[in-house]
Amino acid sequence: MEQKQPYTVLAVDDNRLNLKLIEKSLSKEGYRIFCADNGPDARTIALKEKPDLILLDIEMPGENGFDVIRKLKDSAETNAIPVLFLTGVSEVDSKLKGFDLGAVDYITKPFHPLEVLARVRIHLKLSIATNSLIAGQANKLRQLTEAQVSMLPTPADNPDARFGVYYKALEEAGGDFYDILNISENIKGYFVADFSGHDIKTSYLTASVKALLAQNCTPVYSPIESIKMINDVLVEIMPDGKYLTACYVHINRTTHKLTIINAGHPPVVCLPVKGEPFLIKTEGDILGMFKDAQFGTQSLTVSAGDRFFIYTDGLVESAERKITWASGADSLLPVYREVSGIPYEKAPGALIDHLFGKDALPEDDIVVLCVEV
Amino acid sequence: MDFNDLVSRLGIDEEDIKELVELFITTTLSDIEKIRKGISDNNPADAAAASHSIKGAAGNLGFDEIFSIAGDMEMQAKKGSLDNFNVYANDIEGRVHALHQSISE
Repeated sequence: MEQKQPYTVLAVDDNRLNLKLIEKSLSKEGYRIFCADNGPDARTIALKEKPDLILLDIEMPGENGFDVIRKLKDSAETNAIPVLFLTGVSEVDSKLKGFDLGAVDYITKPFHPLEVLARVRIHLKLSIATNSLIAGQANKLRQLTEAQVSMLPTPADNPDARFGVYYKALEEAGGDFYDILNISENIKGYFVADFSGHDIKTSYLTASVKALLAQNCTPVYSPIESIKMINDVLVEIMPDGKYLTACYVHINRTTHKLTIINAGHPPVVCLPVKGEPFLIKTEGDILGMFKDAQFGTQSLTVSAGDRFFIYTDGLVESAERKITWASGADSLLPVYREVSGIPYEKAPGALIDHLFGKDALPEDDIVVLCVEV
Repeated sequence: MDFNDLVSRLGIDEEDIKELVELFITTTLSDIEKIRKGISDNNPADAAAASHSIKGAAGNLGFDEIFSIAGDMEMQAKKGSLDNFNVYANDIEGRVHALHQSISE
């Protein structure tokens, strides 16, 4: 069986005897001890060895304990290591300052080796518990991401829907969502939404919206009726302050009729087979907030090969560059022409590469759907 | 010096205690030299730092009298006074030599 590596403690004190005392008393209990008698050496060892805990003397010549802890907490590689500082019994200001700088506890000097041992033990236990909690939460969020992604239909599974997609959630609980509705052989629905917030509630709501779409986007209801019915339910179930912007594009490839329902969402881009790309601006209320919401509706006749881009605001907005989708959507129109020669399945990815570069990370979640009639 | 008492108080074995006491003797004699230099240079800050070092080590090993003398010296030097420091330094030095004798026996 693999042997568990011993826990490591970095002891920092300019007093050699104190270091030796700590080393003797902790190493006999199975800890591995690194010693440093000055601040810069302590930081070098902390960075290289990543000890499980640091015992840090405050009063040292040159770089004192406060300087050391400040620098340790400023570094992403060392800021999670718990630091216990060693200070005189009467130095209340030192204790407060140490806590202020991120220390987890202090040991008063002169210290007793058994007290050092007891405090090291308790703080290692706390650290282990905290790390395990963080790892558990991260794992749950990863599962949530996987569940969210598994709910998203792929072009390969829906070849008749003739679409390509780019989906990127910046956080584990992403706020963007899309769905493809196979209403009949030649009638498809394309739904893109952006939830307010990126939290766990959002993830559960995406599952609810998916179920509502499946129930209400049927040949029996017109696109506007479907969205209004979904809105009525969402108003009842959405938590306070939660809402979503959404765009629903309904295409009947037999009648060549396309209908757009817009709920406070960025405009759809039409890239016709012949002609220049243009925005289809339809204003409407957001989903899930108002019982009597009015949604923007537009119908047009389309031709085979026409393309429609439905996307979330992460594509066209930039908080850093202070661009809102109202202005950003217009300025990006020429870019759609650039990707017109690329197959529709790959067009969303090409569009993202064109706008953000291959390696850059967008500022927000992004969904881009490219639908070809 | 009662090693058994130190062993039971600090919770570490006799061999380690001897090693620590030897280290204490070496570092304290070195700190006493720093104090004497501080006196001759009229540099209370250096004398305070060396007294602080002796105080810390003595306190952790439970040498209460040396801890107390060094603590008083540190406080006094931090106020800028080195009065009677030679006497105090000689006192600590005598106690350290006594320690040395007891571990050599």
